[in-house]
Amino acid sequence: MFQPKPMTHLLIAASKEQMTSVVTELYRHRVFHITDFVDQGKEGYEGVRIGTPLEGAGDLSTNLLKIRSLENVFQTSPETLFDVPKRPVESIRQAIERELPAIEAEVNDLTVKRSNAESRIRDSEQHIAELRPFALVPLEMDLYRGYDSITAIAGYIGSDVTIAVPHEKYYAARKDGNFIVVFVEKQHATEVERTLSDADFQSVTIPNETGSVQAAVDKYTADQTQAKAAFAEANAKISELKAKYADLLAACDEVLSGDVERAEAPLRFATTEEAFVIDGWVPADHIEPITAGLSQATGGSVYVTVDDGDVDATAIPVEYNNPSFAKPSELFMDVYARPRYNEIDPTLILAIMFPIFFGLIVGDVGYGIIFLILALFVRKMAMFRGEGGKNLVKILVGASISTIFFGILYSECLGYALPWHAVMFQRHLAIGADAAHATGPDAIPLLIMSVWFGIIYITVGRIFGMINHYRMDHAGKHRTKAIIGQFGWIAILWGLLILVWSFFSVEQMFGISGMMPDLTNSPLIAPGLSVSALAGLILLVLGCIFLAQENVLDLMEIPTIISHVLSFCRIAAVGLSSVAIAMVVNYLSFGMFIDPALANLDAVGVIMIIVGVLIFICGHALNVGLGLLGGGLHSIRLHYVEFFTKFYVGGGIKYNPFGLKRKFSEE
Amino acid sequence: MAIETMTVEAAQAMAVGYKAIGAGLAVGLAGVGTGMGEMGIGAAAVGATAEDRDMFGLALLFTVLPETIVIFGLVIALLLLF
Repeated sequence: MFQPKPMTHLLIAASKEQMTSVVTELYRHRVFHITDFVDQGKEGYEGVRIGTPLEGAGDLSTNLLKIRSLENVFQTSPETLFDVPKRPVESIRQAIERELPAIEAEVNDLTVKRSNAESRIRDSEQHIAELRPFALVPLEMDLYRGYDSITAIAGYIGSDVTIAVPHEKYYAARKDGNFIVVFVEKQHATEVERTLSDADFQSVTIPNETGSVQAAVDKYTADQTQAKAAFAEANAKISELKAKYADLLAACDEVLSGDVERAEAPLRFATTEEAFVIDGWVPADHIEPITAGLSQATGGSVYVTVDDGDVDATAIPVEYNNPSFAKPSELFMDVYARPRYNEIDPTLILAIMFPIFFGLIVGDVGYGIIFLILALFVRKMAMFRGEGGKNLVKILVGASISTIFFGILYSECLGYALPWHAVMFQRHLAIGADAAHATGPDAIPLLIMSVWFGIIYITVGRIFGMINHYRMDHAGKHRTKAIIGQFGWIAILWGLLILVWSFFSVEQMFGISGMMPDLTNSPLIAPGLSVSALAGLILLVLGCIFLAQENVLDLMEIPTIISHVLSFCRIAAVGLSSVAIAMVVNYLSFGMFIDPALANLDAVGVIMIIVGVLIFICGHALNVGLGLLGGGLHSIRLHYVEFFTKFYVGGGIKYNPFGLKRKFSEE
Repeated sequence: MAIETMTVEAAQAMAVGYKAIGAGLAVGLAGVGTGMGEMGIGAAAVGATAEDRDMFGLALLFTVLPETIVIFGLVIALLLLF
C-alpha cells in the first residue's frame, strides 16, 4: 500500500555449462527481472562480454518467422485470439515439426495462385481499358497494321481537325475525350502529327490484337471472370485454412516465442570464456524458491548472492503492491506514469476517490443503472478483451454503483425527483412547469464541498511531496530546502484560508452554516486586525519565505493555489450541468410534446407523442455519453493535474519478469 | 416632458435578466477561451500520440489543462444565478 513491492537485487554466477539449466529454471519461475548487461568497458569488467545465444536459436527464429508469415497471410495474431483451449507444449512442438511444413506448403501454393490470379485480373483490366476507345472506330484490329507505306495514328484529341495531306480519318466525339484515328502515308506522318499536336493530341498505342474489337474485349472479360473466380477460390481456401489452423498457429507462435526468448537470453548476460553472470531483480518474497530451484537445477554449482549495496533507485523495476480492489486503477496510473521505486504510489487514493468523484458528479440513479447495464453488457459480450479492457469494465462498475448511491442521496432519477427529499445537496433546477415553486439547487453548498475536496487534496499532495523529497533526494541542503518549500505551499494555502475566514463569514454571505469555519468574531488586537487574521498573515508570510528560499521564482506560482482549489469546483459545476441537461430534455419531451398531446389526443397528438419519446431517448442518450465523459475525464483530471503535480514524479521501470505468460499452451 | 418610471417589480425582473445575461456570457466566453486553448494543444497531442502511443497519458493531461477556464466560467455563472 502506497509503496511498490519490495525488490531484491540478485546476482547469479555459474560456469557456462550450467547456462541452459539456469536459464530454463529462471524462465520457469517467471519472477526474475533481468537487467541487460551493457558492454561499456567499465573498470572491473575487463574481458567480460555480452553472451552469445544458446544453440539452436537460429533455427527457432527461422521457424518463428515462418509462423509469423503464415499468421500474416491469415491476418490473425495471438493478441486477437481469446478463449482458445490450452494445448500441451509437447503436442505443439510435434505439430511444429510435422504439420507446419505441410501447412506452409499448402498456404504458399494458395498465395502463389492468389497473386497469379490477381495479376491476371490486372492484365485483363489494362487490355480492356486500352481497347475501349477503339470500339468507337468501325474497323477490325487487323486493319491497323501490316502496311508498307501507310501508318496509323490513334489517340485522344481536343477537337476535330482538318488535315491537309491525303488521309483517311475516323473521329468519335465523347464526353471523356474525343478519339481520333488517322491513316496517312508514312512520308506525311510527321506533318500530320504536328497538326494533331496543335489540337491537344495525346497518342495511344494501338493494341496488338486481331479480329473485331468487341471479340477482343469479350475474350479479356472472360479471362478476367475466370481469374476472379480463381482469386475467390484461393481466398476461400485460405479462410478455410485460417479457421482450421489459427489456434494452432497462435499456440506455435507462443511456444516458439518462449523458446526464442530463452535461447536469446544470454544476449542480456555478462559472460567470460568460462563463466557468466546474470544481474536482476526479484520480489523479496521470491528469493527462497528461486535460490533453491537454481541450486537444484544445477546440482549446487551456481553462486546466487543478494546484493545489498547502494543501487540507483531509478534502476529498480517497479511492481504495484495494492489490495485487489485497487488493482484495476493501476491502469490509470500506467496511463500517467508508473511510480518510481522509492516514491509514494497513490493508486489506492485514486481507486477510492475516482468512483466517489464520478458519483458526486453524475449522481443519478437512472444513469447509474444505465452505466451498470452498459458495463455488464460490455463484459458479457467480452468487447474489451485483454487485461486493460477488463480493468476498465471493473472501474466502470465501481463508478456506476457510486453513481446510483449518490443518486439516491441527491434524490435524482433521469432528472426527475425520487419520492423523497434529497438527503444531501438538492440539485434540481427551476425548469419546467413547477419552476415558480422550485427553490433551485443547493449550488453554493455543493461548491463549498468541492472547494473542501480541493483544500484537502492539495494539502495531502504537498505532504506527500515532503515525504517524496525526503525519500528520493540525496540528504543535504537541497533536500531540506525542497521539504521546507513544500511546507511553505501548505502554509500559504492555510494562511490564505484563515485570512479569508477572518474577514468574511461564509455563514452570513450565503446563509449556510457549518460548512466553513467563521473566524470573524475572534478577539481584536488592533483596529481591523483580529487574532485569527494575524495568525493567517503570519502563516502566509512564513509560507512565502519558505517558498522563496528554495526558488524565488516559485512565488510567481502562488495564484495556482487559488486556481487549483477552484478547479475542484468542477465536481459541483459539471454535475449541475448534467442535471440541467436531463431536466431540459424532460421538459422538452414531456412538458412540450407528450403532456399537451395526452390532454387532447388526436392524430396530431400521436405524432407529438412519438416526437416527444424520440427527444426523451436521444436527449438522455446524449446525457449518458456526456456523463461518462464528464464524470470520468474530470475526476481523473483532478487527480492527474491538481493532485499528482504536487508530488508525483513517475517514470519507474516496469517490472517485466523473464518468462512467458502462457495463453495457448501449458507445460 | 415624459418622466420615465419603473416599478420595483420591473426593476427586479430586469436585474434577474441582467444576471442571466451575465451568467450566459461567463459560460460562453469561458467556453470559447477553453476551446481556443485546447485547439492547438489537442492537434499537437494527437500528433504526438500517433507517433508514440506511450504519450497518450501526457497528451491527455496537456489537452485537459485549459478546461479549468470554462469551469471558472461555470462557477461564476452558478454564483450569479443562485
